[in-house]
Amino acid sequence: MDTPIQFQIHTGSAEPIYRQLMDQLRRRVAAGQWTAGQELPSVRELALELAVHPMTISKAYSLLEAEGLLERRRGLPMVIAAGHARPAATRERIEHLRPTLARAAAEAHELGIPPERALELFERLLRSPEPGAPR
Amino acid sequence: MNTAFPTPTSTPTRGSGLGLLAQHGEPAASVDIDGLTLGYRGRPVLQGLDWRLQPGQVVGLLGRNGAGKTTLLEALLGLRDPQAGRVQLFGQPAARLDDAARARIGYVPQASGLFEELRAGELLAYFRSFYPRWNEAKVQALLQRWAVPLDVEIGRLSGGQQQRLAIIRALAHEPDLLVLDEPVASLDPLARRDFLRELVEQVLDRGTTVVFSTHILSDLERVAFNVAFLQGGRIALQAPLDELLAEALVASGPEPLLQGLPAAAVLARSSGRRLLRGVAESQLPAGVVAQRASLEDLFEALT
Repeated sequence: MDTPIQFQIHTGSAEPIYRQLMDQLRRRVAAGQWTAGQELPSVRELALELAVHPMTISKAYSLLEAEGLLERRRGLPMVIAAGHARPAATRERIEHLRPTLARAAAEAHELGIPPERALELFERLLRSPEPGAPR
Repeated sequence: MNTAFPTPTSTPTRGSGLGLLAQHGEPAASVDIDGLTLGYRGRPVLQGLDWRLQPGQVVGLLGRNGAGKTTLLEALLGLRDPQAGRVQLFGQPAARLDDAARARIGYVPQASGLFEELRAGELLAYFRSFYPRWNEAKVQALLQRWAVPLDVEIGRLSGGQQQRLAIIRALAHEPDLLVLDEPVASLDPLARRDFLRELVEQVLDRGTTVVFSTHILSDLERVAFNVAFLQGGRIALQAPLDELLAEALVASGPEPLLQGLPAAAVLARSSGRRLLRGVAESQLPAGVVAQRASLEDLFEALT
């Protein structure tokens, strides 16, 4: 059973909404959660659901199509492109973490936190039942 | 305060029909402002402001308190006479619009304070008589969804209910240009989200040109494809928001290093900080730290 395609956006960050949508889709496809042939909500549906300007949605869709992640079909909803049937290899998937971790590493430097301590925190976050919730 | 509404007419106008086409076959800009200057009692507010809104654009107008956003929106609608400059709507002078052009405009003022003795139902019936087009089904659906009581005097409605009623009134005649002055200030988060959906639907279905001012940056980030920053009586910058977020950097460091940055890339400056656009982080000299700008950073630097 495929994971339903649902997007979430966060306002107030330096990441434009279209990029947030693209990143989420890239990660879900890499994880094998959204797979080839699965239908995406139409621009209209997603724009209304998220209360976002429709051009923002179509921009994300078009760029993902150019990347080969989405396929446009005449008169039909867009789908996840063929060739994305199974999860990508872990060494490929981990690359999606690089930008976020690079930022975290830079911030750890600025804060003068030793690597061991930063790793310790990351490990604790990874193993907490709700990822992202510090405890 | 004034409200813009037309006198009765029997000639219906079509939404995005031929009326939009100017002589050269190009659609006339919805709003075209040149050199607008306006002040009160010798205090200048708008100083030679230029601004253009193309059909179908959704533009968020940002500015600090007192920057002149309301003055600008009122002048845009022809409700205030410029001391200098020119304001045109759909290719016509804003102060002398014909009825057909007036019927294409929807306006939600910040606070109207008008018609307080009328009931919501009476107000809508009154406005309905002025417009050649009126989407009663939409009006009824919104009244119900937004729980606006029809049989209570408007002066006794809550601020949020009055605001919803003003929005319904502005959407009822399916305008081609919607001007919204702080439309969500009194709405709770759920009502705001629902209102944004309604705006998105207008844009999807009718290609409505929308300009709205707000201090709620998260709303703006969702629905405004373009943002315009009002500063020092002019539009300091107008650009697609996603491009700005992708390209703008907040750089900080010692002044001498910052002064060496290419002037063309500097959008705004304050001591020890610069807002940059069109420079890659890797091109910055060592000693200058840069971070991608959020909308809040942009607001701080450009208003």
